Amino acid sequence: MNNTDLVLKIENLTKIYKLGKKNVTPLANLDLDVKQGEFVSVMGPSGSGKTTLLNIIGCIDRASEGRVFLNGTDITSFSESNLYKIRRDNIGFVFQSFNLLPYLNAMENVELAMELSGKFAGQRKARALELLSLVGLGGRELHRPARLSQGEQQRVAIARALANDPAVILADEPTGNLDVANKDEIIRLLLELNVKQGTTIIMVTHDEQVAAQTHRLLYLQGGKIVKDKQQKINVGILS
Amino acid sequence: MLATLSMVARSLARKKNRTIIIIVALTFALTLITVLPSSINARQSLTQRALDSLIFSADLLKDQVTLSATEIECSYPITTTLSMSKGSSLLEDGTLIDIVLQDTMSASLSANIASLTDVVDVVPMRIEWRTESQLYNIYGIDINNDVFQKNPSILPSNITAGRNLQAGDRGVVVIDEFLAKNAMPDGKFETQEEYEANIAEWQAKEYVFNVGDSFEVLGRKFTVIGIEGDALNYRTNGVTMSLEDLQSITSNTGRVSSLKVFVNDADNVNSVVARIKALDSELVVSSGFTQLNTVQPLQDQVASLIVVAQNNLNHVRNIGLAEIGVSIVAVVSVILFMMLYSVRERTREIGTLKALGASTSRVLCQFMLEGILLSVVAVVIAIAVSVFVLPQLSSLILPVPIQEGVALAWDANGVMYLGRTTVGSMPFLSGEAPRVIDASLGVGWLLLSFGLAVVLGALGSLYPALKAARTKPAEAMRYE
Ligand SMILES: Nc1ncnc2c1ncn2[C@@H]1O[C@H](COP(=O)(O)OP(=O)(O)O)[C@@H](O)[C@H]1O
Ligand SMILES: [Mg+2]
Repeated sequence: MNNTDLVLKIENLTKIYKLGKKNVTPLANLDLDVKQGEFVSVMGPSGSGKTTLLNIIGCIDRASEGRVFLNGTDITSFSESNLYKIRRDNIGFVFQSFNLLPYLNAMENVELAMELSGKFAGQRKARALELLSLVGLGGRELHRPARLSQGEQQRVAIARALANDPAVILADEPTGNLDVANKDEIIRLLLELNVKQGTTIIMVTHDEQVAAQTHRLLYLQGGKIVKDKQQKINVGILS
Repeated sequence: MLATLSMVARSLARKKNRTIIIIVALTFALTLITVLPSSINARQSLTQRALDSLIFSADLLKDQVTLSATEIECSYPITTTLSMSKGSSLLEDGTLIDIVLQDTMSASLSANIASLTDVVDVVPMRIEWRTESQLYNIYGIDINNDVFQKNPSILPSNITAGRNLQAGDRGVVVIDEFLAKNAMPDGKFETQEEYEANIAEWQAKEYVFNVGDSFEVLGRKFTVIGIEGDALNYRTNGVTMSLEDLQSITSNTGRVSSLKVFVNDADNVNSVVARIKALDSELVVSSGFTQLNTVQPLQDQVASLIVVAQNNLNHVRNIGLAEIGVSIVAVVSVILFMMLYSVRERTREIGTLKALGASTSRVLCQFMLEGILLSVVAVVIAIAVSVFVLPQLSSLILPVPIQEGVALAWDANGVMYLGRTTVGSMPFLSGEAPRVIDASLGVGWLLLSFGLAVVLGALGSLYPALKAARTKPAEAMRYE
């Protein structure tokens, strides 16, 4: 396998939280490669380090040991004060509770991500319109989050995550707060993005059905990947 | 930046009720901050006016002591009445003027005083006070002996042209500048024809009379030998000549209006005063001592009033400064607590911003801007409020240091006292003045309070904004 195809390469990653005298080690000597265009589900019991792993990949937490390469760049070598640029330019976050800014409308929430990376207003607006229609929210651009359903809010969040063409979308239980109908819609949207746009996605989920629809399923336990399973995706559900 | 500002404005607008309450509170404090400096300033200038008036009074009092320790002055009391001028060369007919009435002393009284033990010299002087038609005073000075030279206040003091009177002068006058410029040239010309031929020429001249010109006083022609500039004492607007000339033109030979008495020793002054009074109880007799004795308590009073005015001002200024201080603390703490609360409440939002790639300084900016915007909106309202209610507000929030003006006054008997004025005359304080404080909000004051509001907004939101900026992006992931 060609190394340059790797969006993410994790070598010997250990994370230790110091809680007084006790140390918590949610991740211990973990290795992982993720290729461009993969859709990876991460499962595991509560407290197994899934969120911790996503946080380290997403540069909102730092590795205690080991190295993490994002698109070939070693992010563990970056100083804390420069990590925001990697988050801004290479990562798209999708949160369990959407985390839209309540006082901005759908369009502005998407634009915010681009404003942070210094894009001009005209460019921002065009891209936001395009993304919102891509996630199926054409016509709802001026609605504030309070006027959108939860599924729609998560769609806005996904559009926002895509705004700066990130290397990888990190989604921590994106369907955790959604009812069954909305859950299916969001999974379908993510699959569609993955298949049609080639977006690399790493998604934590508790839902086996959801996990079963992705390329690859990782099972975390005791700070290690205990299962790494390639799956066939059922593209049929996209039709 | 503009996008950040609109974000800030919208996040404030979302919590409408809270924002309104905070802005109302800030507006109160900022109104005080806007109004107080100019209010303090107004009180300062009010006090300064009072002090000017008191210092003026103190100077007047100093001028009242004209006699040295060994000098005595005596004359009959003066009464003044108001009268209409008529046929005057200086004023239009019908102008109100003061007419001074004063009894004159006989030569024998003067001789009796001169013969008293301990009296060294007596210098007689005669003043022919102005009348309805003779609009200047005529001073007659005894220049037969040299004693008058001991006594500079009798002679014109500020000769600007020609020379002063000297011993033996007859038929000559010193006129004051006002007369030299304004008197009608009666007697300057021999005939009516000459007068008419030269009328345009003399009207164009600044000085109608110059040294060497002829000047007619009560129908007698004198030669002008000197011109007196502005005089410090009460000799202004007058003509000065020898005593004999004045007695002669008024047919009052031997009569004088005041005497200056020189005593051999200061210790004997009181006894001489008593003996003069014994000669004629009508006489007003004042000595250097009596002048000092009347003036000294008034001077003390003026001095203590100056201290009181100064203290009052300091007190009021301190109150004002304390109020400004409290307002500043109020503005800063209202913003501080409001923003701290807001930052804590919005931890997840801030974490999300950072997860999306907002830099520390961007978050810092956004939250400081929020505090500054609150403060700026409030100060704009405060400025509008201040402009409309300044006079009422000014006297409500800050006491007025001076309630009444004080000015030197004379009662009917010519006795000086410090009077409370209710009607303002030139340098004195009007009793009306303090109630209407003329505090004015210049653009400078408004800019100052606007600038201060920006600074206070930044100050109050600095710590909360730093806290926001230090929020970990991982907060975006925390689920309660
Ligand atoms: N900031 C932290 N400080 C200390 N311990 C933490 C912190 N974040 C996570 N942990 C601990 O690390 C372990 C893994 O947590 P997490 O990655 O959130 O698990 P998961 O997402 O799989 O449920 C847990 O035991 C958790 O208590
Ligand atoms: Mg988790």
